[in-house]
Amino acid sequence: MTLPDGATPLLLGSVAAFAAGLWLLLPSVQRAGWLERWSSRLGVALGAAALAGLALAGRRLGGLGEEAVFQIVAAVALVGGTATVVTRSPVYAAIWFALALTGVAGLLLVLGAQFLGVATIVVYAGAILVMFLFVLMLAQPTGLAPYDRVSNEPLLSAVAGGVLLALLTVSIGRLSAEPPACCQVPSRADAVAAAAAPARPADPAALDADAVARLGAELFGRHLVAVEAAGLLLLVALVGAIAVVSRGEAAESAERGAA
Amino acid sequence: MLAAAFPSLIHGALVVGAVLFVLGLVGILTRRNLIVMFLSAELMLQGISVSLVAWSRYHGDFGGHALVVFVLTVAACEAAVALVFVLQAFARTGRLDSAAWQSLRDTEVPRRIDRELPATDTVAPVWPRLTPSGVEPARDDSAEPSREHV
Repeated sequence: MTLPDGATPLLLGSVAAFAAGLWLLLPSVQRAGWLERWSSRLGVALGAAALAGLALAGRRLGGLGEEAVFQIVAAVALVGGTATVVTRSPVYAAIWFALALTGVAGLLLVLGAQFLGVATIVVYAGAILVMFLFVLMLAQPTGLAPYDRVSNEPLLSAVAGGVLLALLTVSIGRLSAEPPACCQVPSRADAVAAAAAPARPADPAALDADAVARLGAELFGRHLVAVEAAGLLLLVALVGAIAVVSRGEAAESAERGAA
Repeated sequence: MLAAAFPSLIHGALVVGAVLFVLGLVGILTRRNLIVMFLSAELMLQGISVSLVAWSRYHGDFGGHALVVFVLTVAACEAAVALVFVLQAFARTGRLDSAAWQSLRDTEVPRRIDRELPATDTVAPVWPRLTPSGVEPARDDSAEPSREHV
């Protein structure tokens, strides 16, 4: 099954507008005079056109893309993500990233992953992002640094991103509406469970009803060893971070003593 | 509602995940601030998370959800360790610039030199504007000197 009529050109046009807008919005000082003046407005206009194209394509595609809630949270995530990448000030970039995280959490909720939506807000926006802001406040010199006003090869990167996105979109379009039965590899636990109950609920509402409980069963059943390994990884990262900091301080004080 | 009739139509979520991934990729390729580069890497992880959960919905199981839990874990570890290295790099060079470490490049790669980079920002910064609370009363300059009590 391929995409419905008109969806593929719409998607590819949106991708092209997205790449061009991204190139115009990326920080640079080497553009021609008139382009320098109009680049931000033109970039925002192209980005809005890309968003509108994506929304129209979503309506053509049907399914999830047609729901208004999905379109709103997807737009929040995409606008936040774009602004994260193109904003010159790193502090503003971190704040925009928080907005993108809100959109992604909304996407996860719409997709039926309640626990992951809440965990994204708590872990990312609550912990990781605040850590980024702490480091920024520790390390950023006053004012806008010169290296925040330029970017490495914005044109080449935007073109490469657009090509990759077009390839991904086209390959997503070849996805069939229902998962093929041949490719479902049942695990041993699943095979045991399938004998008692149908493994795959046909109704997504049934999937959503006890999602957190089923996620817990999946994590602590099939992935128990991996969960333990993840806990070990967290411990190693904690110890490693502290060790690097203390060794760096020891080296610095030794250098000072030598000088 | 069509979405209820076709629960596995996840093209929209996959496209959004792909766009987020590409945004992060472009960010990590172009930006020079180390912190913004790491934010872009986190953005790529977010795109992957959305795609994984969408695939999980497509197949009707929880494998994608479990993988996203591990993505969160590894992202937290990565952020902790990477930020320590960023702070160490900042302590050595005084800059958050990835080009400050270009002495580590390959010998055949040319050195990057910032040309025509103005010392001050050409685009004026946009500061947040606060709505003034209350209205300043109009001053009557002719009445000012004749005031008896201050």
